[in-house]
Amino acid sequence: MSPIIRVEKVSKKFRIYSDKGSTLKERLLFKKRRTYKEQIVLNNISFTVEKGEAVGLIGQNGCGKSTTLKLLSRIMYPEQGNIKVLGRVSSLIELGAGFHPDMSGRENIFINASIFGLTRKEIEERLNAIIEFSELQNYIDNPVRTYSSGMYMRLAFSVAIHVSADVLLIDEILAVGDSNFQEKCFQKLKELNKNGLTIVLVSHDLGSVLNLCQRALWLEQGMIYENSNQVQYVIDRYMEYMEKRKNKLIGEE
Amino acid sequence: MKIWYELYRYREMIFSLVRRDLKGRYKGSALGFLWTFLNPLLQLLIYTFVFSIVMRNDVKDYYLFLFVALVPWIFFSSCVAGGASCIWSQKEMVKKIYFPREVLPISFVLSQFVNMCLCFLVIFGVLIFSGRGIDLIAILYLPVVLVVEFLLALGITMITSACTVYFRDLEYILSIITMGWQFLTPVMYSVEIVPKKIQFIFYTNPMTSIIEAYRDILYIGKIPRLSSLGIAFLIGSFLFLFGTMVFEKLQMRFAEEL
Repeated sequence: MSPIIRVEKVSKKFRIYSDKGSTLKERLLFKKRRTYKEQIVLNNISFTVEKGEAVGLIGQNGCGKSTTLKLLSRIMYPEQGNIKVLGRVSSLIELGAGFHPDMSGRENIFINASIFGLTRKEIEERLNAIIEFSELQNYIDNPVRTYSSGMYMRLAFSVAIHVSADVLLIDEILAVGDSNFQEKCFQKLKELNKNGLTIVLVSHDLGSVLNLCQRALWLEQGMIYENSNQVQYVIDRYMEYMEKRKNKLIGEE
Repeated sequence: MKIWYELYRYREMIFSLVRRDLKGRYKGSALGFLWTFLNPLLQLLIYTFVFSIVMRNDVKDYYLFLFVALVPWIFFSSCVAGGASCIWSQKEMVKKIYFPREVLPISFVLSQFVNMCLCFLVIFGVLIFSGRGIDLIAILYLPVVLVVEFLLALGITMITSACTVYFRDLEYILSIITMGWQFLTPVMYSVEIVPKKIQFIFYTNPMTSIIEAYRDILYIGKIPRLSSLGIAFLIGSFLFLFGTMVFEKLQMRFAEEL
């Protein structure tokens, strides 16, 4: 069986403008200032993910984790290489997209879910499950502006988790609501994963990577440093590496 | 043509953005959705006052002559000028979520379009109550004109909204262009009173035949000239196809440029 995600020799560069003049005057007068450095964010990476796998992407800031996720979700496109994802992709990169503060929770479920590409019928089928999961039954017809930030996030997460995609991409958003709700989200993700959902998770919280993922992918300066099923082993090595870096930085000072 | 299939799958997003815009526009006001009708009606009252009492002229029922052209013009100009920022203003969403980017200009134009159609209901009401009546055969041509104008507006909005992501000044340039464009379109006067020498400018402008068609149907009550409308349709379809192609190319780097 072919893998559900196939990333082949993908490279991505960003243009970093040293001083991006955006007005016409600046563009004409200071052409030289518009020089930009091309920064390589991803350098020829390849990996595959099998259906039903949960993969954790780890690495320090700026190593290309989030860019990888954005490429997988087609928010950005690579300069080189190929990315193939089979089936419906849903990304939990931004929660509560399109929420209108003056509209009720119920109306916002429809708007938000439609942004994930659900049809009206699909949303209606999931409506009760979404409301139940969010624990907002008593407030669902109140305008969202009256919600606390925790309630807001609970509603947003409930929608996102009920999209029933084939691949779910998650970027650092498990810090939702109180610890009980966090635990509930986590259990839900585990359950979905057991039922065949493929997950790619970006997180600095190594505990949740260890808890949820069957494989860890360590990115370092746009390249894959480690790609292994022994999640504990990768995390240990990563922590050791970070410790060394920290000591080195302190030593330099 | 994968994009059409993708847009079909995201049809609910288009509808719910249109609904959010139309419902959200007057949310919180006491009269709510009623404003959609009240607003054009009150405008019409003002025009009637100005052009029947203050600034009289020879055109019979000038307020209607003006209003049946002004409503479709406002639709067009708000698409061209306002639609330019429809991707920029949603940049948080564009940077963080995947959806076919075409959804944004389409739903923007569609929501303006629905608004215009609601204004037409007001116009119908005024035509009936003022005793001018509606020509039942001519009115059958109204959907054709609506489609032609929709295509033209959508094509232009696709191009301008995508270009504005890369070049922000375009939005301000366009608001001036649409102002000038209005005076090169027979909205406030008919083409006949324009000096012969510069009439050709009016006839190279696709909006001229569209606005004239509206006026033929609603104000005069006759079937519009289909030949000039046909040319407007060709220009509209061309701009629409060209717009989708340009858009598809430019949208690849949206997330990085915003």
